[in-house]
Amino acid sequence: MTAYIIRRFFHLIPTFLGATFLAFLIIQLAPGDFVTRLELDPSFNHAQIENLRRIYGLDQPFTVQYAKWLSGFLKGYLGVSLSYQTGVWEVLKPRMLNSMVLVVLSIIFIYSFSIPIGIYSALRQYSWGDRFWTTVAFIGMAIPNFFFALLMLYFALYLKDKFGHEIFPIGGMRSLYIAGMDFSAAPKWRQWLDILWHAVLPVIVAGTAGTAGLTRVMRTQMLENKMQDYVRTARAKGLAERVVVYKHILRNAIIPIVASIGFLLPDLFGGAGFVEVVMGWPGLTPMLLEALFSIDVYIIMGSISVTIVLLMIGNLLSDLLLAWVDPRIRYS
Amino acid sequence: MKRSIWILMVLALGAIALAQPKVFKSPNPGETPVFGGDFRDWSTDGPKTFNPFVAKETSSTDVMDLFLPTLTGYNPYTLEPEGNLAKSWEVKNKGLTIVFHLRKGAKWSDGQPITADDVIFSAKVHADKKVGSNYIKSFEIDGKPIVWSKIDDYTVQADFPKPFAPALIQSWYIVPKHVFEKAYKAGKVNEMWDVGADPAKIVSGGPFMLDKYVPGERVILKKNPNFWGVDEKGNKLPYLNRYIFTIVKDRNAALAKFLAGELDLYTASDADQIAQIVDRIDSKKLDATIFPNADVTTGTNFIFFNWNNKDQWKARLFRNKKFRVAMAYLMDKDSMIEIALGGLGKPQWSPISIPVKQFFTDDVVKYKYNPKKAAALLAELGFRKKNSAGVLVDASGRPLEFRLATNQGNNTRDKICQLFSEDAKKVGVNVKYAPIAFNELVREILNTRDFDAILIGLTGGIEPAFGRNVWELDGPLHMWNYGPDFESFEILIDKLMKQGATTLEQSKRREIYVRFQQVVAENLPLTYTVAPAYNPARLNKVGGLFAKDQITSIVGQYPYVETVFIKK
Repeated sequence: MTAYIIRRFFHLIPTFLGATFLAFLIIQLAPGDFVTRLELDPSFNHAQIENLRRIYGLDQPFTVQYAKWLSGFLKGYLGVSLSYQTGVWEVLKPRMLNSMVLVVLSIIFIYSFSIPIGIYSALRQYSWGDRFWTTVAFIGMAIPNFFFALLMLYFALYLKDKFGHEIFPIGGMRSLYIAGMDFSAAPKWRQWLDILWHAVLPVIVAGTAGTAGLTRVMRTQMLENKMQDYVRTARAKGLAERVVVYKHILRNAIIPIVASIGFLLPDLFGGAGFVEVVMGWPGLTPMLLEALFSIDVYIIMGSISVTIVLLMIGNLLSDLLLAWVDPRIRYS
Repeated sequence: MKRSIWILMVLALGAIALAQPKVFKSPNPGETPVFGGDFRDWSTDGPKTFNPFVAKETSSTDVMDLFLPTLTGYNPYTLEPEGNLAKSWEVKNKGLTIVFHLRKGAKWSDGQPITADDVIFSAKVHADKKVGSNYIKSFEIDGKPIVWSKIDDYTVQADFPKPFAPALIQSWYIVPKHVFEKAYKAGKVNEMWDVGADPAKIVSGGPFMLDKYVPGERVILKKNPNFWGVDEKGNKLPYLNRYIFTIVKDRNAALAKFLAGELDLYTASDADQIAQIVDRIDSKKLDATIFPNADVTTGTNFIFFNWNNKDQWKARLFRNKKFRVAMAYLMDKDSMIEIALGGLGKPQWSPISIPVKQFFTDDVVKYKYNPKKAAALLAELGFRKKNSAGVLVDASGRPLEFRLATNQGNNTRDKICQLFSEDAKKVGVNVKYAPIAFNELVREILNTRDFDAILIGLTGGIEPAFGRNVWELDGPLHMWNYGPDFESFEILIDKLMKQGATTLEQSKRREIYVRFQQVVAENLPLTYTVAPAYNPARLNKVGGLFAKDQITSIVGQYPYVETVFIKK
């Protein structure tokens, strides 16, 4: 097993080099650079624009830029953001932590709803309950995230009109005041409570599509295992239905779901997506969008490389988890 | 004991008498200002830095405006130059030398006096090529430097290589030398005051000072007790306690926040947003006021053709004035306003934006929508017959068609292009419209020059002389024609721009720029389309704002942030 892990670890190196080089190349292939948008500003002349390119090192061939970036990365340094003129990690870190709040909560939301609903639907296939959850799941998968978020904002506004005060906040992550006190002056538990209160609607938005998808997977898995011979055997042995369902069917049905937990790792650090943009959650996505628009190469690369590393670790973790839950799989 | 208090009081009075505060004129003398209160503004992006030598966009400079002083700026009532840190100035040597007198008694928030040393130091860093400040453009004319020197602690002098009309507008940020000097000498000035810096260490010389920055979420600024401004009654400014930027990336989300009464000001972007605000005001859910179509914005949208086209046939055609006039006749600006701008906006005929009243003229040639005249002009150019596809062809049978592009993702420009290409097709001009990415557009304009026609906009400002890179023959943004062959009207425009930039007398400057607008409108190197409306809205509890007829899109809803207040 240890040998296997070490071997896998060495495989990661070429993958990482290839992936980051490709990412760097694609950013370079897109027309323009960080300075391009200043070129259409009538108050700048050519010499000033070229001077900026020189200062930012954008006049060097891209292989040189990549080599410099890579040598920094190997020393644990993600480079300097062009627009912030400060270390990329300092820019990314607070945003990742903010995103993580949303991501962790929505993962909990996804698993705690989709697994029970999936089991319920499978055990009562084609019942009204199953049909209801199937419909909900399809709506959840079909509704675009950003639009759902906007609906939620207007829902919060509607609630505010209806009750005269805020039931849910209209966007954002923290209140300016908590009970008349400045946010940072309030006790820690109240600060966390305030953040959780702000997270309710974004988590629903961020979790809905995932819940819908996973519910369907869970349902299919359960149905598939229900038809297996060993289930009939278990029933024939006279086991209680509860034991048949939870000890035999569920344990086998849940294997792919457990195995996929490893893949959640990069998600944790990757931002919760457009819901952050629409609902004013100061996570990674809004900042990444800005970086993409302004072609702030090092912010983009920093975020991509962190995701790549986590994806590779997550992949490895998934394989190990699979071996752990499924005795039929052994690495040697 | 008592004696010492008396001495202190006399000293304090003496200090006040010596100080030369700026007096901020309130827009509404009838209002009684209230001290205290939070002003809640919003911004689509957060600041990238608090360092003025690094700042590259308004998301950063909007915050700096509140805590870093400038020498001069525009008077929001008259749009004439007005002193900020400079109390007064003398123009000498036929406009080649300007002496600025600074306010005595002005202090940084850490208690140090603001002096000529700070001004000269800031000028030196901004002008330093190794630093890469955006404001370097304020320190050279035609590649020749403007020389700044210290006369005494409260007097600085600027020497210009040639007379320069906007010389009195010196709106680059001044930083405290005692904070920045060490880093500058070590070559690390760009590492100062990044977004991770401790707000308490960021020294302010403006009405507010940084209190807190929560990345991606909000910027909180608090009143600077050392600010050097007073109101007309001599009260220390600003009135507000805090100025809060909430960062909301999505316009619709910002609207929802304004509708909920969580933002104090908002500018509606289209008719639909106006309707939502009006609806909420009418149903008494929001105590606010909106002024739809109060003004038009200074942004411009224009179409231009590539006279340097590699296809000689096209290059000749685009260079022909009759062709450009015919294309102008095909631009249905009323429909553009109706469809692209939701019914709110104005047609634009010439390069100076409508709100820039001191230079704008309406007395220009207007080629109003007229497909018949367009067809007649095209016939004069030899396009008399149509081919089987309904496209006009010249004597050699070549169809009249060209590509039109604009940047992706801009709804207004997209619709303007669609309308134009549809109207053009009706008379047999095959306009092949396709939007492309902004950076690709820039590359085609500036480097590859392989476009036919492009619709784009440039940010307009108050000062026409800052548009010289567009209009002078060797300007990097003389986008329609990089030479070497220039038409006589282009040479005339070049001459007018050079005159306008070096004439100091206001009435003569206006004459020059009126002529400039007329020449452009008649010859159409750029064909202007429509200008979007400015639709400001505000909560009624905000005081110190302009009345409806004073609002301009250039200045905004209030003349000075210093005199904005929140009614109790």
